[in-house]
Amino acid sequence: MELTKSFLMKFGTWFKDRWVNNLLFSTTLILVVMLILQAQALGFDFNSFGEWFATWSRNLTNVLRNNSGVGIISLGMTFVIISGGIDLAVGSTLVAVGAFIMVLMDTGPHGILGNAGITGFPAYMIAVVLGMGVGLVLGEFTGVLIAKGKIPPFVATLGTMKLFRSVTQHFMQGYNPAVPKAFLPLASLKIGSLMLMPIIYWLIIAVCMYIVSTKTVFGRHIYAIGSNERTARLSGINVSRVKRRVYVLMGFLVSIAAIVQVARIGSMDYANAGSGYELDAIAAVIVGGTSFAGGKGSMVGTVLGVMIIAVMNNLLNLWGVPPFLREAFKGAIVIAAVLMQRKEKEL
Amino acid sequence: MNLLMEDMVKSFGANNVLKGVTFELKGGEIVALLGENGAGKSTLMNILGGVVLADKGTVKVDDEVRDFLKPLDSLSAGIAFIHQELNLVEDLKVYENIFINTELKRKSGFLDIPLMCEKCEEIFKRMDVKIDPKAMVRDLDASYKQMVEIARALMMEAEMIIMDEPTSSLTEVEIEQVFYMMKTLKDQGVGMVFISHKLKEVVEICDRYYVLRDGAMVSTGDIKDVTTNDLAKFMVGHEVRTENLQRERPIGEEILRGENMSLKRCYKDINFSIRAGEIVGFTGLLGDGRSELFRSIFGGTTDYRGQVYLEGKKIKAKNPEEALKLGIGYLPRDRKENSIVKDMNILENGTIVILPKLKKGLLIDRATQREKFKGQVKKLSIKLEKDTNMIGSLSGGNQQKVVLAKWLLSDPKVLILDNPTQGVDVGAKEDIYDIILELADIGMAVVVLSSEALEVIRVCDRTHVMYHGEIRGEIKGKQMTEENIMRLATGGELSESGEKSHGIN
Repeated sequence: MELTKSFLMKFGTWFKDRWVNNLLFSTTLILVVMLILQAQALGFDFNSFGEWFATWSRNLTNVLRNNSGVGIISLGMTFVIISGGIDLAVGSTLVAVGAFIMVLMDTGPHGILGNAGITGFPAYMIAVVLGMGVGLVLGEFTGVLIAKGKIPPFVATLGTMKLFRSVTQHFMQGYNPAVPKAFLPLASLKIGSLMLMPIIYWLIIAVCMYIVSTKTVFGRHIYAIGSNERTARLSGINVSRVKRRVYVLMGFLVSIAAIVQVARIGSMDYANAGSGYELDAIAAVIVGGTSFAGGKGSMVGTVLGVMIIAVMNNLLNLWGVPPFLREAFKGAIVIAAVLMQRKEKEL
Repeated sequence: MNLLMEDMVKSFGANNVLKGVTFELKGGEIVALLGENGAGKSTLMNILGGVVLADKGTVKVDDEVRDFLKPLDSLSAGIAFIHQELNLVEDLKVYENIFINTELKRKSGFLDIPLMCEKCEEIFKRMDVKIDPKAMVRDLDASYKQMVEIARALMMEAEMIIMDEPTSSLTEVEIEQVFYMMKTLKDQGVGMVFISHKLKEVVEICDRYYVLRDGAMVSTGDIKDVTTNDLAKFMVGHEVRTENLQRERPIGEEILRGENMSLKRCYKDINFSIRAGEIVGFTGLLGDGRSELFRSIFGGTTDYRGQVYLEGKKIKAKNPEEALKLGIGYLPRDRKENSIVKDMNILENGTIVILPKLKKGLLIDRATQREKFKGQVKKLSIKLEKDTNMIGSLSGGNQQKVVLAKWLLSDPKVLILDNPTQGVDVGAKEDIYDIILELADIGMAVVVLSSEALEVIRVCDRTHVMYHGEIRGEIKGKQMTEENIMRLATGGELSESGEKSHGIN
């Protein structure tokens, strides 16, 4: 009895210490709990394990695939927030890039590449590369506004958010390009019985971003700037160049998300596609433990944050929580994440 | 009104800041409170202002013992504290600032603006100054801002006003205006404490003086009995350790030269030259422009006039990155704000300057990074457990050494150290002096910016003393004494006794 008691005491202090001081510990734990609840909601049964596993994995890959776009954007958003900024324009950038590549590849009479006599694989390559280029350019535009124009990121990206979407909508009025069927496998190619491609893109980019954030000069400079911009500048870091590159990288990642989304869905609703992505991405980054004040955060945390929000949504769905109420849970978990961060600071 | 502080004792940890200090202030007099940085002036006045709680001692107002637990307590006792950094909201009007949090309202609940303006006019009349109550504070000159703050104190019926270096950011003309107002108030029976390093001003405006040194009141009396030189001597003390650490070493070619450098409101007509292997000081009082001068050279601004030469070549760094590439290192003052990235570990803080040079392919070469830093840890005898611990886990002295390490790793031709021993304990201070001497020995040009005269005397071969943005004089060798530095730093001359007015013209 005594022994169990002292063990429990020790475990309690250990657990509390980890929970408070290691954000990855708490996020991982929350994710595990949610996955268990999800398994239970899908009717886990030991006797028909194989059948259950098939349902569970299909369900999980569906959930992750639907969130891979936001997932890719969240990785870029992590850098933006660590650098002390914010990007509200990611949804609009996504629509702009999406529309651009669809116009290029259109199999109808207005398709630009089609009219130039380029079709098939070469056309897709050109569309993808130019799409990424547009993402880079739009990111550069935002970055210059923030780094050179000294406009607060919230205001600058509020402006570009309206600008990008509105211009896209204007030029795409009454025009619905047809995406060639042969382009779709980019996202919908089946591996085994599962459509894993978007998830694979997301995870590959996550690994790259993890390396950039921990092992490159650019990555470490972002942390230094977010934590103490004055020190960073006085240490000879070109703050405005690093900030600009953060938004360029953000634009690039959004363009990848746009390409994947076009391949996955095969069409785009210019008024609504990608809207709310900025807030979903910010929510995932915050839940993943990145400090909104800048200087602190990790790519691993963001991946976990995306998964937590995705699985939670799925769980609420499985439990039959009315759709309108689900957003409330998302809000609650963001607030809880920030409260946890503050507790850590006070200690 | 009479104010008496008896046997005030206060320590912060093991540091005895006040060791039984007695201080008196009567209505209708202006009393100077003098002392070097860290002598205990601010602590004594903060006790009076309700900011700090004394360990021992009594404060009596009109023979009645009072406890000041919070700023409001001392305000309601009629004591107002005007801090060096003014406490005004720039974007509000004069009357709004004066009535902030004590706004006058009509019965309807709306603000009674005419009445507030009227009351302001009354106070300004009493102070004999002309300020439009509806003017924006932003648009006022510095001296008028000072007066608005004093007007606010008077509006709260303050009879005693503590002024902490009220003239430090004012021009000569503005200082005259403030002095005129102080005399007017004095004639009306208001008591004032004047804290200042500018001894000429003290002699001009004050009736009595108190000198604090190392937490003890070392001298007090009537101003008419003393000269500014006497006061400087009291502040420094007689038996000061001024042993100079400098030693013989070969002096090389000129490394850094500034010619006719001027920057509006910061410094003007600066000329200097520093050779390899020299340790040159720039000292003076707060706001003398020395930090701004060297920050300009380090690429903080390109707006300055004049020319900087590095090894004989004209340079103008657009930003610190460029200055660094040219071979200039600058360790700024205020470590927490300017030198430390608190979310990063010791290793990263120590190598942040040379990070771009540590690239191997696309990635940072961790092994080289660690190896280079380890070399500095050994050289500077930095005490640390693991270099992956957070920077905040180190003591102030060791943090400063890490900051020093980051600059040494960049291998600069000239290293500018701004307050290099700020917030560092005595042992680490001596370590840092040793390091500075060693750097000069190997031929680096070192510039030490410091407001501590003793520090400059201890490490520098020669020093420039600045006053109001100008180099007031250059002294070296035996001439480098605290008294001489203090004299030049307060606008005086080396040879004459301090009888001139505070103007330098």
